[in-house]
Amino acid sequence: MAEFEPVLTARWRTDGADTIDGYLRSGGYEGLKKALSMSPSDVIEAVKASGLRGRGGAGFPTGLKWEFTAKAQSTPKYVVCNADEGEPGTFKDRELLERDPHQLLEGVAIASHAIGCRTAFVYLRGEFLYAGRQLERAVAEAYDRGYLGRGIAGSDQDLDIVLHRGAGSYECGEETALLESLEGKRGQPRLRPPFPAVVGLYGAPTVINNVETLSAVPHILARGADWFAGIGPEKSTGTKIFCVSGKVARPGNYEAPMGTPARVVIDELAGGVPDGKRVKAWTPGGSSTPFLTDDHLDTPMDFESITAAGSLLGTGAVIVLDESDCVVDAALRFTQFYAHESCGKCTPCREGTWWLTKVLYRMENGGGRSEDVDVMVDVGDNMLFKNFCALGDGAVSPIHSSIKFFRGEYLEHVRVGGCPLRERPALGAAEPREAGVTGVVELGEVLR
Amino acid sequence: MAVLSDELRAKAQEVIDRYPEPRSALLPLLYLMQAAEGHVSREGLREAAELLGLTTAEVEAVATYYTMFKEAPTGRWLISVCTNLSCALAGGRRVFDRAVEAAGGQSDDGESGLTVEEVECLGACDAAPVVQVNYCNYDRVTEDEVAEMVERLRNDDVPEPSRGPKPVPHDATARILAGLGDDRG
Amino acid sequence: MSDNGRVTLTIDGQEVTVPAGTLVIRAAESLGIEIPRFCEHPYLDPVGACRQCIVEVEGQRKPITSCTTPVEEGMVVRTQHTSEMAHKAQEGMLELLLINHPLDCPVCDRGGECPLQDQALAWGPGESRYIDPKRVFRKPIPLSPLVLLDRERCVLCTRCTRFCEEISGEQFIEMFDRGAAQQVAIAPGEDFRSPFSGNTVQICPVGALTSETYRFAARPFDLKSADSVCPHCACGCTIRVDIRRGEVVRHQARDNPEVNDAWLCDKGRYAFRFPDRDRVTTPLLRVPGLEPASFAEVFGAIAERARGGRVAVLAGGRLTDEDAYALSKLARTAFRTNDVDHRLTGTQDVPLDVERAAAAGPGVTYRDLEKAGAIVVVGLDAREELPILHLRIRKAVRKTGARVFVIHPRRTALTDVAEHIPCRPGGEADVLEEIVAASGGDSAAARVTAALGEAGGSAVILAGPGLAASPGAVSMAVSMAQSLGARFAFLSRRAGDRGALRAGLHPGLLPGGRAVDDESERGEVEPLWGSIPGEPGRDARTILEAAARRELDLLYLIGADLRGDFPDAALADRALENVPFLVVQDISLGSEGQSADAVLPAAAFLEKEGHFTDWEGRGQRITPVRGPEGLSRPDWQIFQELSETLGADMGFSSLEALHTEMGNLLAPRSVSISPGGSRREPRPEAEGLELFTYPLLVDEGRLSVDADELKAALGTDSFVEVNPGDATRLGLAEGNEAVVRTEAGEARLPVRVSAGIVEGAAFVPYNQRGFRANVLLSGTTRAMATVEPATAAVEAAG
Ligand SMILES: Cc1cc2nc3c(=O)[nH]c(=O)nc-3n(C[C@H](O)[C@H](O)[C@H](O)COP(=O)(O)O)c2cc1C
Ligand code: SF4
Ligand code: FES
Repeated sequence: MAEFEPVLTARWRTDGADTIDGYLRSGGYEGLKKALSMSPSDVIEAVKASGLRGRGGAGFPTGLKWEFTAKAQSTPKYVVCNADEGEPGTFKDRELLERDPHQLLEGVAIASHAIGCRTAFVYLRGEFLYAGRQLERAVAEAYDRGYLGRGIAGSDQDLDIVLHRGAGSYECGEETALLESLEGKRGQPRLRPPFPAVVGLYGAPTVINNVETLSAVPHILARGADWFAGIGPEKSTGTKIFCVSGKVARPGNYEAPMGTPARVVIDELAGGVPDGKRVKAWTPGGSSTPFLTDDHLDTPMDFESITAAGSLLGTGAVIVLDESDCVVDAALRFTQFYAHESCGKCTPCREGTWWLTKVLYRMENGGGRSEDVDVMVDVGDNMLFKNFCALGDGAVSPIHSSIKFFRGEYLEHVRVGGCPLRERPALGAAEPREAGVTGVVELGEVLR
Repeated sequence: MAVLSDELRAKAQEVIDRYPEPRSALLPLLYLMQAAEGHVSREGLREAAELLGLTTAEVEAVATYYTMFKEAPTGRWLISVCTNLSCALAGGRRVFDRAVEAAGGQSDDGESGLTVEEVECLGACDAAPVVQVNYCNYDRVTEDEVAEMVERLRNDDVPEPSRGPKPVPHDATARILAGLGDDRG
Repeated sequence: MSDNGRVTLTIDGQEVTVPAGTLVIRAAESLGIEIPRFCEHPYLDPVGACRQCIVEVEGQRKPITSCTTPVEEGMVVRTQHTSEMAHKAQEGMLELLLINHPLDCPVCDRGGECPLQDQALAWGPGESRYIDPKRVFRKPIPLSPLVLLDRERCVLCTRCTRFCEEISGEQFIEMFDRGAAQQVAIAPGEDFRSPFSGNTVQICPVGALTSETYRFAARPFDLKSADSVCPHCACGCTIRVDIRRGEVVRHQARDNPEVNDAWLCDKGRYAFRFPDRDRVTTPLLRVPGLEPASFAEVFGAIAERARGGRVAVLAGGRLTDEDAYALSKLARTAFRTNDVDHRLTGTQDVPLDVERAAAAGPGVTYRDLEKAGAIVVVGLDAREELPILHLRIRKAVRKTGARVFVIHPRRTALTDVAEHIPCRPGGEADVLEEIVAASGGDSAAARVTAALGEAGGSAVILAGPGLAASPGAVSMAVSMAQSLGARFAFLSRRAGDRGALRAGLHPGLLPGGRAVDDESERGEVEPLWGSIPGEPGRDARTILEAAARRELDLLYLIGADLRGDFPDAALADRALENVPFLVVQDISLGSEGQSADAVLPAAAFLEKEGHFTDWEGRGQRITPVRGPEGLSRPDWQIFQELSETLGADMGFSSLEALHTEMGNLLAPRSVSISPGGSRREPRPEAEGLELFTYPLLVDEGRLSVDADELKAALGTDSFVEVNPGDATRLGLAEGNEAVVRTEAGEARLPVRVSAGIVEGAAFVPYNQRGFRANVLLSGTTRAMATVEPATAAVEAAG
């Protein structure tokens, strides 16, 4: 791995790379100049040829998405950067914003040129105060140096970027909920079709891309689609930032080629599980992606291979549990997260996460019944793919996967009437935490 | 008695003008109300509604959806402890319990100026367990450290965060979140 | 896609062809396949929230919601009947909906007519696998004096909030919070003050929203019901009347895409008690007090007075088409007079042609509004006067992007979707004239002309009933329609008005709008009626003046609330005092009845068979839910029997006989309106403000007796509304008392200051708690008035 030379994270270690001077010194905005010298359709072709796929979780081909929007008849058109990073275990976008904000702005500018957008938006997670500060400064610098505003980079293109902060809702990362939120509404998802590429922000054709996705774009333009396509396997090209956390010696963001084996990411890059403990379970791409086990450590970290292994690459957020951790407790904490973040619009997610939270809590704290295990599997079945959006589907992942691989541990909970691995820290909340607890208390109506 | 000062009212208009459609300004406007009062009061909701020509119900529907809008009075120092899995694996839950204990409860008693909340993944799992004070990050916080932080904040003695400038009080933070600019040193 | 925009697909093995864009759930219905659903509602946009309607579509990896998915050519759909997956999905969804649903069906108003309960019984699991605590909310919270909310029962389908957003545009209730804590809520301290609030109760698929008027009132199985039409206004909403032990307990909307869609206004829904209050149940004669008598005795007394005497007939707005027709014939053939009128609203500056056309048959329809590119509303406060028309205009804007202009002295509730063109009361004709003259520029007038131009023949001009009080305005609206190629409708106000006009309860018109003084047209009626006096009769006002001068021997009032309705209280009183013999036929006595010499008890609308004709000219059937109260009878029967006593048998042995004759004379005729044009004399330069008035939706009208919850929720005390400019000029302040003076009289009213009303005008609602505006009027709904602070008035008095 050592010889691999980072791309998106290259500037992270150099001081001042987050300022426009530092950025320009290290070849910044070359990609944009290149793009502006090309026709929009050629830019789109380049991105298509690079094989770049969305890094926000769904892995949709970026060039294709741009093409849909470019082809859509109506105007104006918008580019929206999804910087709402909320998937548990994921922290790459935040660091990209804090350490190299111009890289993102350049990507946004290129996307805007490609689809013909005059006003772009960055939807930033509200809790990212420092990232917001960095981004605001970068935007000011870019206006100052003519990379934003009228005639960007000496071209005849105008571009304004509006920074919009969220206010605490994971669901607002879902692209249609994000648009609702950006329009000043509750962050609940919209029916699809029509897709945002055709009917998006204010009903206009809209490209929505993740921070990491857009941050890769300047390099594709500057160094060529073939170079990018040459990295990683054929269907999952380029480099990927893996966010490794949990029971590893050196948690952090590690950029590596797509298809790098999980073992390399966990053991070599992140220093492996401390105290010579074994990997018990891990998520390839955040809480919404099914747990895998130490049997899957040789799986290459790319969209196809991870899917084949029965999970999803998601955001590339690797959360590691070791043998001393309780999967029931972990599943409980994840489920409490989904219950808290469920937008409430659709029945299966709203009621299903409520139900599962209650059962898992009983399991972990005594009061579990052996039939509960199958009830949870079935409730999961009744939710899966029947939810309005993917949040509810994601909520099923920890349930189904943990029961699939660790049913014995669940039954053990029933047998001993509680958690057999009382080597705390406890993961799940101390008492049942229902969705929107704060809200309810403030509305002063729910009695439980 | 209007919630927004003349100064903030002028800012409100700037915020509205930022967007192609006025309603997009609702989230920033609610932050403005929070900047004025430390939380979003009934009057704040009504004023936001009137600024955008919405009904109060429409605005409250939005305000109650998002966790960062506080409808109840909130302490000068909002201490958010992440207890999602990565942080919990590093003891986040005990850090939270300890913070609550040190602050003498979760909600501001009006005296302490402290509010403690348990929050979902803050996107900084490499630094677990993570604590935020008015959305400024403190990395790898131990139980004892959180207890000490709480004590210092009680006396407005603000600890140096892991990145970026020191946090400012909750209402001043809301100004930044409303997009009025981050003029912290 | 297949030919002419139709699509063929297979559902549960059956082929069906439907218009492209049809939703799968609808296509299934067309085959009689019912897919369970909660959030879906045919008149609301698809939302796909409850996920109950899941079906399987061949070749699709994931299940789909049939309420959000349009059909596709060759699609193969499997519902719960043929797909194991769909069946399990629906069972699972129902179980999820029930885990937090209380088990209080036995005490729930919806019990017995609840989709959730029905499905749970049909194929919900015997006992739940959910053993943990349920979500608990405080039990029902009032959203208004009319509507209560029980959040525990709510399935969060958002039908109610979507109704408020999409249909009424009055967003008092919203979804608050999120996840399992999401709940329907209202901003604390506010009331659900929408005159359409009751619709949310009717479309709630469970018992979460309930009506104060119906709480614990009845169970579906002890209700008796009949289809009818709302008796309140000319909108013609089709309703179902529910009675329990003979008493009305509920009005509900009947689905009717031609007229009211699935909606009612709160007045139509909640003002239902009048048929059960202060009814007259037997004929009465004055001897000298009013004493019970037989019909024969009363008929005899009438005959005696009528013989050779001067008789006039005035009808109110609540008669059915049948009643009106029989009365029209009775007046002409038995009383031999054309002194008959139903227009009790004073001076009417309406070209006869316009009334002839309206009487001749149907015209503009609700549907036409949805096809209209542009709609001009003049002289109408739609939400207050014709609420369902108000909703249809909003629908036209939302569904087909119609451009709407409202010409009115007050900003109306359409303003959020229309361009409001302010105009001084009585000044409508001037504004209309400007529009006709306008060419280019971006004046409001020019915008209207342009919009009408673009809309071509589809454009519609709606003239409110109140416009008749504005000199030359109706005829100017006609000429505007004619010169700009738009369609024109002169709207009626009350449920019986258009039917009365069609029947000829008009001094100059016979059935079908045939002119009394036109030989040939009269000649079309005489074969059936016998000879008819050829001189046009006197209108309501002239009749009352005659009565007041004792130039009348008998005045016959049928369902006419003269003291209330006529815009000259003093004249009404003088007429009633001076007429030697007053006959009142009504369902309740009322103040006219008190001073009557003979009273005839009429059956209420829900006790008889017949029709009401709405503003469109559409006749719709009403059927009895119970028999007439006491000895009361349908008005037409009383007229028939009276005609026999008067020796002029009308020959209506049965309703069928009556219908056959009506069929002959009321078959739609085409009447062309001769070019309108404004015949206005310059208005006298008078001092003060131009006072104008019209009834608000929720008022003290007779049919609203005991509608206490309705009035508590939506009523207001009387007031006088002025523009801020005038307020400052005259020293009037919001809430303070003012003295309003006209040549007719004076009144003390609380002041409302509103930028919504034009300068130089003063608005007083016609009939609110505490005050009836006709005290201030002299035969028309307009008057010059002085308005001054009460205090000043006192000082002036010394
Ligand atoms: C519940 C939920 C949360 C999501 N959160 C994020 C997020 O925080 N950031 C993000 O980029 N995408 C998120 N997504 C994915 C977006 O919907 C969308 O696919 C993505 O932003 C598209 O950008 P990309 O093609 O560059 O990945 C989320 C999706 C779901 C269902
Ligand atoms: S799955 Fe349903 S409830 Fe959950 S977030 Fe999506 S729409 Fe909302
Ligand atoms: S009826 Fe289809 S989702 Fe509710």
